[in-house]
Amino acid sequence: MKADAVRGHLDGLLLAVLEPGPLHGYAIITAVQDRSAGALQLRTGTIYPALNRLERLGLLRSTWESLGERRRRCYELTDAGRRALAEERTAWRAFTTAIGSVLDAGPTTRPAI
Amino acid sequence: MSAPAARPAGPNEDTDPVEEHAAALSAALHGPPRAKARMVREIRDGLADSVAAHAALGLPYRRAAEEAVREFGAAEELAPACQRELTIAQTRRTAGVVAVTSPFLIACWYLIVGAELPPAARLTAALLAAVAAGAALLAAGTLAATGALARRLPTPDRLPLAVAWTGTVASVAMALATLTLAVAGAASAAWPLLALAGALTVTSHGLVAASARACRRCARAVPG
Repeated sequence: MKADAVRGHLDGLLLAVLEPGPLHGYAIITAVQDRSAGALQLRTGTIYPALNRLERLGLLRSTWESLGERRRRCYELTDAGRRALAEERTAWRAFTTAIGSVLDAGPTTRPAI
Repeated sequence: MSAPAARPAGPNEDTDPVEEHAAALSAALHGPPRAKARMVREIRDGLADSVAAHAALGLPYRRAAEEAVREFGAAEELAPACQRELTIAQTRRTAGVVAVTSPFLIACWYLIVGAELPPAARLTAALLAAVAAGAALLAAGTLAATGALARRLPTPDRLPLAVAWTGTVASVAMALATLTLAVAGAASAAWPLLALAGALTVTSHGLVAASARACRRCARAVPG
């Protein structure tokens, strides 16, 4: 899937992979790639400013944590982030249902002119 | 997590693609130093993790680093999105400085109005207080509009520039207030109080002017 198509859904993707628990930046990237089986083409570096923005909006919070020899910024959902994710899912399902009902419909009989 | 890949030693260290990427990104970005350093460091650490993952699959370090940079995006590809966020961070910082220091201008108005001064000085003080009130209102609105409210409302593209110029106007008002306080202090028995207010105002002027200048630079750095 092209990067332009993914970009509009980046917030929802990031919130979704953080739903199970906190992750640091690269773990978020691998979680998105694993869940999509590598189908989403994305300049993975763009998730970092997106994470900063979601934190500014109060949808994520972050803390520095030691992972092995390095310190990593780990992100987790806030209560507002969980609500935003639920809204994203509802909106996405409504969208795919509407588009799917048009795309999947069989050929209709053209009315006689 | 996989262990960090061994970096090449010696002269190749200077051309490490990860370090080159971090340096290029850092050079391209403008914003609050801590926010910028955090963003560059996070991307650099992510790249290092990606290099380690590629190296664990058997790639030599340099190939692994080049592959990681290709996946992450070159510095010039990442810079616009990073700059947008840093510009908002600088806008919030400038708005915060204006919101904290503008009450000093209003306090100066009270001091000057209370002193025995010519009407021109009182009029100047009233104008400065009006500037302070307007700047403080815009600053508070900016902090709200770029914070939790931004979930529902789009942030206006020109907000950073508006905050930058509001900060500039507020800093000029603070310089004028310092001058007015100096004149008032020379003619008033309450000169120690006026001198203290003048010192606080000139300090505020320095803080707001520097932050507004940085905000103008960030606003210009955001791609159109």
